[in-house]
Amino acid sequence: MWSCKLSTGTVYAADKEPRTEHRVLVLVAFEIDALCACKILQYLFQCDHVLYTIVPVTGKQDLERAFVEHSEGVQVCLLMKEDDLENIPEFRDVFLEDESDEDDLDNDSDDPETGQKKRRFDEAALIKRMEKRKWEENRKKILFEYTEFSGYGLSSSLLLYDMAWKMSKDTNDLLWLAIIGVTEQYINQHVERDKYMESIAELQPHVSRLNHRPDDEESSISIDCLKVMFDNELRLTMYRHWSLFESLCHSEYTTCKFKIWTMKGRKRLHEFLADMGLPLVQCKQKFTSMDVSYKESVKDLFKKFQDKYSINEQDLFLPSFHAQYGYKNRYCATDVIYASEAVLQDVEKEYSDSDNFLHTLDLLNRSKTECMEKGIEMAKIQLSALVKQVQSFLDANLVISAGPFLYAFVQEGTPDVKFFAKPINLARLARFTLEAYCCVSRNKKVKTLPFVLGAHHNSDMGTMLVIGIPPVLDKSLKNCFGKAFEQAAATTNSRTLHDFFDSHIIELKSEDRSKFFDALISLLQ
Amino acid sequence: MDPSEVEFISEKESISIVPNFSLDKIYLIGGDVGPFNPGLQLDVPLWIAVNLKQRQKCRIIAPDWMDVEILEEKKQEEQESKFFTKMPCDYYMEITQLLLQHAPDNIPKADEIRMLVKDIWDLRIAKLRSSIDIFVKSDVTHAMLNYLTLMELNTVRPFLTKALDHIQQLRNNVSYGAALWSSQD
Repeated sequence: MWSCKLSTGTVYAADKEPRTEHRVLVLVAFEIDALCACKILQYLFQCDHVLYTIVPVTGKQDLERAFVEHSEGVQVCLLMKEDDLENIPEFRDVFLEDESDEDDLDNDSDDPETGQKKRRFDEAALIKRMEKRKWEENRKKILFEYTEFSGYGLSSSLLLYDMAWKMSKDTNDLLWLAIIGVTEQYINQHVERDKYMESIAELQPHVSRLNHRPDDEESSISIDCLKVMFDNELRLTMYRHWSLFESLCHSEYTTCKFKIWTMKGRKRLHEFLADMGLPLVQCKQKFTSMDVSYKESVKDLFKKFQDKYSINEQDLFLPSFHAQYGYKNRYCATDVIYASEAVLQDVEKEYSDSDNFLHTLDLLNRSKTECMEKGIEMAKIQLSALVKQVQSFLDANLVISAGPFLYAFVQEGTPDVKFFAKPINLARLARFTLEAYCCVSRNKKVKTLPFVLGAHHNSDMGTMLVIGIPPVLDKSLKNCFGKAFEQAAATTNSRTLHDFFDSHIIELKSEDRSKFFDALISLLQ
Repeated sequence: MDPSEVEFISEKESISIVPNFSLDKIYLIGGDVGPFNPGLQLDVPLWIAVNLKQRQKCRIIAPDWMDVEILEEKKQEEQESKFFTKMPCDYYMEITQLLLQHAPDNIPKADEIRMLVKDIWDLRIAKLRSSIDIFVKSDVTHAMLNYLTLMELNTVRPFLTKALDHIQQLRNNVSYGAALWSSQD
């Protein structure tokens, strides 16, 4: 994100007048946070008539290609991606001015007269060479430590919203986009809860400032204006747009808590709902058609009965925001994230990646409500496929312990397999499977084991996607698999592509699978 | 004329804004605008106001007639009168549309205003339709309507002119046929 900070200096110069003769190239990664940041930036550019080009990039190769293609006449280039800002090594530790090369050249010259001098030169040169070698080793060590664990830093949409606010160009719409970006980081477990709470605390005053409405008749606002409100949301996936029962069966926490894939689990869930006084028939119909009294009491009922069923309040409730515009459209931040990720990873053959990117940008443009509804339907389909896959993993005992980690492969041939060829869905499947397996397994050790998941990616090229995630009990969310994958691939000469921005996801030739995994096992012992 | 053309013409109307930036007077072909000072109200053409609002550079102040009580009175007047009454602004429909689309947060009680303006529009169009009906049936050669706005006029113009053309043609055919008959007798 330091490339973004650079831009604040160049495009928006000290006197706050934008330089319109510059053209900005914005490269956006395929993540919702990056897309929200891109939309905020787009709005700011449009306000100030700055010329810009947006190019979506799926991986590092894409990034290079796009940069080379579009960099004519471009003054500033921005990369929208979350990155780890901590532990960046010092500049002088990594980059060295090339003065020492000149001395090396001098050493080759043979001068008998200054033979004495040459020996002294030799000594000085030797000392310099030793220092350089020591410095090189130190540099290698620092870089290894830096790349050993991959993590995520500040949300880019929050950063850009801050910038917009400082330029007094912030609106409710930009605030809503920043909220979505921040929530996406937490939902996809890129940041810990503390960091998420910090960001929420930062956004809360903005929300009150921009959505403060005096309650008198005189200044009532149009119903079409966006209203953002803070709420302690129930962490049930899209429950307002689905039925309560379906939502309970597709949310990670409740599914694992009740073990919905077993008959006993389902019975327990029915018991839970009956205990709360919610008739099963009502729970199975669309949430919006439930009786008003039940709808309003859902949250309180959950709170009341959480102790009896040992539900952790922190996991069931999430302080978040929801937006309302028009009479029908009421979405909480997590709904928008699921819908937009579903559209971003649409597996329809007729849509290319950039088409999906543009559709998702449309969805984030809140005036297009039909895009949002379509996205929600797609999210439901993808989530059902995910839960079914988890169920088949557990039923067929496909999660195997390989010593230092657990692993599983998505069986080819099932029709849903195409959903898991996309990185975000794959990551979600991995987390869900690990969580579910830890609930089912009697072995206490599994909660400390990381998990590696492989899924079929491209049948023409015979490749598969492999992702590694940290163990359930590891709260620091530091992922060591990036480096581990690299080293395993290097030692076995497996044909891998470390193209994704997330280093813990790689593409691997299916034939090299077994030797790659053997190397990985021995590496992580 | 296209409705978009009528909207374009209506954008020349003057409206009050409060800018948040400063700029000297600008000399445009259509007239001079400015100078802009942050926090000080001034009048600008509607197209400038909408553009500035979209770029977050100003706050639009609703015109005087865009008030719930005034519009309710007007609606009452329109309902009671047999003829068209004078509208508070010749371009009331277009201005309402543009302002409520781009600056609903600056207009107090935007929803009621939208409903009232739509009601007034419906009343007037209904009156127009019935008067056209009477005009055609009573076979007169001309009619006079006062206080009709450009937008209302242009909603009926294409249909009315074509319809009258057809009627004329049919009449001509009828009279030609009658002439033939009489000549044959």
